Amino acid sequence: MKINRRDFLKMGGGAGAAVALGGGFWKWSQFPVAEKPNAPGVEKWIPTICGQCMGGCGILVRVIDGWAVNIAGNPLHPVNRGTLCPKGIAGLQGLYDPDRIRTPLKRIGKRGEGQWQPISWVEALQMVTSSLKELRKNGESYQLMVLGGKYRGLMRSLWERFLEAFGSPNYIDNQFQWEGTPTEGLFLTQGIYSTPAYDLENVQYLLSFGSELLESYWSPVQVLRAYGYFRRGKPGQRGKLVQIEPRLSITGIKADEWIPIQPGAEGILALGIAHMIIKEGLYKKDFASNHTFGFEGWTDENGKEHLGFKEFILSEYEPNVVSKKTGVPVDTVIRLAREFATNQPSLAIGYRDRPFHQMAVSVLNGLTGSIDTTGGILIPRNVPYQAFPPFKKDTIAQKGLDKERIDGGKGLRRVIHQPYLFAQNVLSGRPYKPKALFLYYTNPLFSNPKPDLFSKAFAEIPFIVSFSPYMDDSTHFADLVLPDHTPLERWQDDPLFLNNGFPVLGIRQPVVEPLYQTKATGDVLLTIAKLLGGEFRTALPWNDFKEVMAYGFKGIFEAKRGDVFGLQFEEAWTRLLQRGGWWAPSYKTTEELWKLIQERGGWWDPLYDFGEWERIFQTPSKKFEFYAQGLKRLASSPLSKSNGDPSFLPHWEEPKKMSDEKLYPLHLHIFKTMAVTGSRNANQPWLSENFGPHLLERWITWVEINPHTAKELGISEGDWVWVESTFGKIQAKARLYQGAMPDVVNIPFGLGHASGGRWAKDLGANPYHLLGDDLDPLTGNPIQRSPRVKIYKA
Amino acid sequence: MDEKHLNVEVVDSTLREDAALFEPIRRTGKSFYITLLILGVVILWAVWAYLHQYRDGLGVTGLARPIFWGVYITNFVFFIGISHAGTLISAILRLAKAEWRRSITRSAEVITVLVLFFGVGNILIDLGQPDRMLNIIKFSQFQSPLLWDVSSITIYLAASSIYLYLPLIPDIALLRDYGEKWRWFYRILSLGWKGTERQHHLLEKGIAFMAILVIPVAVSVHTVVSFVFAMTIQPMWHSAIFGPYFVAGAIFSGIAALIVAMNVIRKVYHLEDYLRPVHFNNLGILLLVMTLLWFYFTFTEYLTTYYGGEPIHMAIFWSKFTGRFAPYFWGMFLFCFIIPLPILSFKRTRTPMGTLIASISVVIGMWLERFVIVVPTLTNPRIPGEMVLYFPTWIEWSIFAGCVAFFILLYMIFTKIFPIVSIWEVREGREKSMAEVQERIRTYLPGIGVE
Amino acid sequence: MHRWGMVIDLDKCSGCQACVVACHAENNIGIIGPEESAKGRTISWIELIPYIEGEYPHIKARLLPRPCMHCDHPPCTKVCPVNATYKNEEGLVAQINYRCIGCRYCTTACPYTVKYFNWYAPQWPKEMKGSLNRDVSIRTKGVVEKCTFCSHRLLKAREKVKAEGRDLLPEDYIPACVQACPGGAMYFGDLNDPFSTVSTLSRERRAFRLMEDLGTEPKVYYLSEGM
Ligand SMILES: Nc1nc2c(c(=O)[nH]1)N[C@H]1C(S)=C(S)[C@@H](COP(=O)(O)OP(=O)(O)OC[C@H]3O[C@@H](n4cnc5c(=O)[nH]c(N)nc54)[C@H](O)[C@@H]3O)O[C@H]1N2
Ligand SMILES: Nc1nc2c(c(=O)[nH]1)N[C@H]1C(S)=C(S)[C@@H](COP(=O)(O)OP(=O)(O)OC[C@H]3O[C@@H](n4cnc5c(=O)[nH]c(N)nc54)[C@H](O)[C@@H]3O)O[C@H]1N2
Ligand code: SF4
Ligand code: SF4
Ligand code: SF4
Ligand code: SF4
Ligand code: SF4
Ligand SMILES: [Mo]
Repeated sequence: MKINRRDFLKMGGGAGAAVALGGGFWKWSQFPVAEKPNAPGVEKWIPTICGQCMGGCGILVRVIDGWAVNIAGNPLHPVNRGTLCPKGIAGLQGLYDPDRIRTPLKRIGKRGEGQWQPISWVEALQMVTSSLKELRKNGESYQLMVLGGKYRGLMRSLWERFLEAFGSPNYIDNQFQWEGTPTEGLFLTQGIYSTPAYDLENVQYLLSFGSELLESYWSPVQVLRAYGYFRRGKPGQRGKLVQIEPRLSITGIKADEWIPIQPGAEGILALGIAHMIIKEGLYKKDFASNHTFGFEGWTDENGKEHLGFKEFILSEYEPNVVSKKTGVPVDTVIRLAREFATNQPSLAIGYRDRPFHQMAVSVLNGLTGSIDTTGGILIPRNVPYQAFPPFKKDTIAQKGLDKERIDGGKGLRRVIHQPYLFAQNVLSGRPYKPKALFLYYTNPLFSNPKPDLFSKAFAEIPFIVSFSPYMDDSTHFADLVLPDHTPLERWQDDPLFLNNGFPVLGIRQPVVEPLYQTKATGDVLLTIAKLLGGEFRTALPWNDFKEVMAYGFKGIFEAKRGDVFGLQFEEAWTRLLQRGGWWAPSYKTTEELWKLIQERGGWWDPLYDFGEWERIFQTPSKKFEFYAQGLKRLASSPLSKSNGDPSFLPHWEEPKKMSDEKLYPLHLHIFKTMAVTGSRNANQPWLSENFGPHLLERWITWVEINPHTAKELGISEGDWVWVESTFGKIQAKARLYQGAMPDVVNIPFGLGHASGGRWAKDLGANPYHLLGDDLDPLTGNPIQRSPRVKIYKA
Repeated sequence: MDEKHLNVEVVDSTLREDAALFEPIRRTGKSFYITLLILGVVILWAVWAYLHQYRDGLGVTGLARPIFWGVYITNFVFFIGISHAGTLISAILRLAKAEWRRSITRSAEVITVLVLFFGVGNILIDLGQPDRMLNIIKFSQFQSPLLWDVSSITIYLAASSIYLYLPLIPDIALLRDYGEKWRWFYRILSLGWKGTERQHHLLEKGIAFMAILVIPVAVSVHTVVSFVFAMTIQPMWHSAIFGPYFVAGAIFSGIAALIVAMNVIRKVYHLEDYLRPVHFNNLGILLLVMTLLWFYFTFTEYLTTYYGGEPIHMAIFWSKFTGRFAPYFWGMFLFCFIIPLPILSFKRTRTPMGTLIASISVVIGMWLERFVIVVPTLTNPRIPGEMVLYFPTWIEWSIFAGCVAFFILLYMIFTKIFPIVSIWEVREGREKSMAEVQERIRTYLPGIGVE
Repeated sequence: MHRWGMVIDLDKCSGCQACVVACHAENNIGIIGPEESAKGRTISWIELIPYIEGEYPHIKARLLPRPCMHCDHPPCTKVCPVNATYKNEEGLVAQINYRCIGCRYCTTACPYTVKYFNWYAPQWPKEMKGSLNRDVSIRTKGVVEKCTFCSHRLLKAREKVKAEGRDLLPEDYIPACVQACPGGAMYFGDLNDPFSTVSTLSRERRAFRLMEDLGTEPKVYYLSEGM
């Protein structure tokens, strides 16, 4: 660690400057610099990247005598600036989970019986390689599936490269929603299928359509920091947040206004607001005319007249129509429209609803021109990795890659992945049945609607390998476990971007010696590649994952942009230099870059290039599309009921009725909380213990019911109840909550594991058991919106 | 036997005169041992329960945050309250020169001395770190009402013990001279009592002095117990009338406990001659007064709360009146007021049996009262929190039962060692008081004997 | 003389509970499993307190991070029979674990319910023990514990400052929760210094304290825009 307090002061910052920039209050100067890093009793603070979620925060791990004893935010890391979320701190409990898998395990006994035999890595690797060789020998390479979860960076490239060399098109993404933002809306309007950056710090008026910003944004700390700044970072200006949602979430509690709405009706409200903005002429006319397509009616190359967005919206979405469908009063619709259009910069942010509803929200930003502007939607640059070296695919690989994907798509890279279709097709055997399944960083038996379907699919697959360091629900059903290092024990890169669009590359490095006989999956893949020999040697020429990183980072050096993390005021400083047109990084060679990255925790490019419209709009029209021409690019699946113009415009579609409203009178609304989300950290007591702060619930799954509804149902506070849908039922503790709508009940995600160690197993219930297989035709994602349930005392 | 040759006749006549009073000491029946055995089992069970608690921690109780205090503290207040039976009542009766007191003072005083141990004991049982008990002495912090308690209870215990002991001396001497067993023991305790005029004079003076001393001490004890609660700023504890309210409650439960004890002694040891209906009638009247007083205090206490209407207080108020604690609260009201009041109001029902029923009811009611003071306030703290309900565990009930059993056991043993009715005082009454009473009446009643 | 205090800006607080977990990690707070938690025995020196009032859809809800208020007139210290909890000259209300007899008088006296009791001895699986914070002692069963404003950090800072021969700077002593808070909602510092951030903020129009009418004079201030 290079920088000490004196340097810090010399560099002129001091606490005042840092605070003024809105950073945390904890300063780089505070952690002691180890003289002899490994002497006993000496403490070190090692920078690395938190692995508890996709947030990408930089952390400093305090290590004493080889034990990680505390985790603090890395003040230099621009994502979190020394702060953390609760999960980040609990990373210690992920590392020291007493129920971690300690060696490779081979299943003995029946699948799912939980009988394991510890084996050596040599034996384990032999098992994998021999079955892989077998597959290739039989020309069944495409029958190897990799189901991957939430992670990013070079590890992802490595998997894809591995499959490419192996000859399987089947990398299946189980992170079908990781972004947590309406990606499809962005795709339809801007032609980009990735997560945009929302410049939340600088927003003045934030209209959230069910986006639980403060609980489940993709980068929690970033958004929380932004929120603090949004509220009080700018003297005299307090950003206003309006939360439109069927449930009073923490975000709703913290918002200035909560607007309860019928589940799934957010899109209509957005259209109603659009209607009023257009009607009152409050939209940004120059943006509409210069950068958008389909706002007004238009004629295509065949001379066919098309309906314009303006005309469509004005005729269809009158406030009183909207009010009737959403339950939101007419004056509220009108007021929201005026507030949204006049409090600039304003931003509408949606949630992962069906694509056209997402689009309805996106369109609001188009109307106010909040795109590629301060306080608007930004399209971040990627971290400039060096591309993997070219290699020649052998014939087996070539043949395998030509096969159709198991989930029905073609080619290796598809815009949309469909884990659910994967499970269905495994069962039907069409187009083929898998021979082997690798599970990397994912727990599909827990994280998919109708988990039973996945269980059945698993039963059809002869060989399942899990790389998880924890005995999660899916690993429990594997034949072989090759436990990964946990994030605090391994090397990994973590590319992401900031709210203001700056690309950031964090580096994860081991802070302690691996506790057990585990191996980083990257290293394992490279070893397997070696054992497989042949083209694998040129396709994956590295010895370990660290080398992959060093290789990839060359691109960063060569991009001649950005710098390693520095002190906060460097942001402004670097900007200055950029404007002056010269680049003066802290490093001169790639070695220096590599070393500094390790010391500081990462690299970033603190610059956003505004006005590069080709990057911002990748639609066919190279403009913001009110009329989604890009939809035609998604060849498959019937997109919409009608095929006329409205089906390309943001519009409201009645959802398919899933169940009898009389038998199942209540809507089900599933939500996340900050502390426990997904299966990654259910095994960490600090988190389960703080599951539901607004109701002081811990360790269990509860169901929020409006007190009046509960009274009608004869349910009182604290009763155990069954929540039942047509697909299943779960038990939960009834909590009477004024923030629940009378006809909507709310259940949190996170608990209800069938496996996973002493603090996860058999605690709480998984509401995904209540969901059916209503798939969105466009994305193939399960629609989790508003399934119906009934509730009765257990 | 004794060095001196006893005159058999003297012995005989001495023993025969109040034979019933010597009987329990001279002879012990099978039922005594059976009772002892049963009590012993309960006590051992409680000890076992406590060891459990000692080893594992207070987690074995039903307590949790914010209900940090429960049965043990309830017991503490309750037992200390019961302790007011004895010394205080006996002292008041003595000072008032109520003649009928003679056969009941002893049984009352014993209650005090013994039950105090259980009061204090419950505090110790309630400690999370009983090993560090002595820190109370080492690091005393006299701002804490708990230390006021420690002090006043210690003084009260000392005073009550002396007050019990002094009137015992002549009876001990009797046992030394005429008893059959443990004469050496009685000799030591009798402090060379010979029954001389001077000794009698000194004794009377001592008793009178202690009687005067013990009253303020007793009042202070329960006032201070109430201060444990009243000195906090917790809603429905922070109350100025808590002192008198607690004292009244203490006397109330004390008298009730005394009546129960007397009933048992009377039946078991066939002391119908000594503990007569008139005693029960008189005590019954006292209890009636206390019932009304208790009602008065309770009424004022809750009325002020209700009129104040502060939400934080009302939450507790309603939890008692209609909420979770309604069964306890109305149970208390039933047992402390509804049941005893009619029984005690009529002379016809102020019989030994009637007063026994009323008293048992009051004892139960007063335990509930203590519970209803301690637990609801803690259940409804100012800051909203988790919904926590307090249900005492078997450990707490066992220890409670053990305390009661141990108390009964000690009481029983006492009756086996010392006369439970003061023999000399009864005799003195018989011999002297007629004259004395007449003498006294003469001093204040007009027209009688003023020549 | 310092007078340490905290300011929590509820406008910036997002209710994320980073403060809660940071405090757990920093102060070796025992793992209370699901069964004991269900009984209300969790320990959380700082906790989010939900105030949810009104009826659907007109609800006033608030989440208040609540550490110990370190009252200037602490009702808790007065009642302790053994001086195991006391206010030191810098205004920190301290807790001496090895002296506490576990009478739980302070816990009942504190109007903010911020004191916690170790119903059992705190437990960690052996795999986790080495990762406890060595700067903070582990409590035994039967004693009371609560937020100390991370006073061990003050001790360490003093040592460091002495070694470096300089004065204590505001950033030398920052409690774990304040350090973690992602919203930047928590501030910590010397209330006696009229120019410190906490002093300045405590004089703001938005400032209030919890249950000011009790006269406990808390040293934790909240800021909120009239909601
Ligand atoms: N703390 C934490 N944060 C995370 C993650 C994590 O593991 N931990 N994971 C990240 C990942 S992978 C993702 S995908 C994101 C997900 O983050 P979000 O996008 O917030 O996803 P959810 O919380 O699943 O759903 C958002 C809300 O939509 C609601 N919803 C469902 N149907 C309807 C409807 O008809 N109308 C409205 N208004 N709402 C509806 C859900 O009930 C929920 O309240 O979280 C990310 N953030
Ligand atoms: N019940 C429920 N279901 C959900 C969601 C939810 O919040 N709750 N969210 C939905 C969303 S948005 C998404 S993106 C998906 C994602 O769902 P998943 O892909 O299942 O992701 P996680 O929940 O993060 O769980 C990943 C698994 O990775 C393992 N793991 C943890 N650390 C490591 C590691 O260091 N290395 C390796 N190799 N494995 C590790 C753990 O065993 C964990 O079970 O789930 C969806 N389904
Ligand atoms: S937001 Fe995610 S990455 Fe950041 S500290 Fe929390 S868990 Fe770790
Ligand atoms: S908040 Fe409670 S524990 Fe803290 S100082 Fe005040 S009274 Fe004592
Ligand atoms: S529990 Fe401990 S700190 Fe609290 S009053 Fe009793 S001895 Fe003092
Ligand atoms: S100041 Fe320290 S002890 Fe107090 S709540 Fe914050 S982290 Fe916990
Ligand atoms: S860490 Fe900060 S933002 Fe999060 S709950 Fe605590 S005070 Fe609020
Ligand atoms: Mo996700």
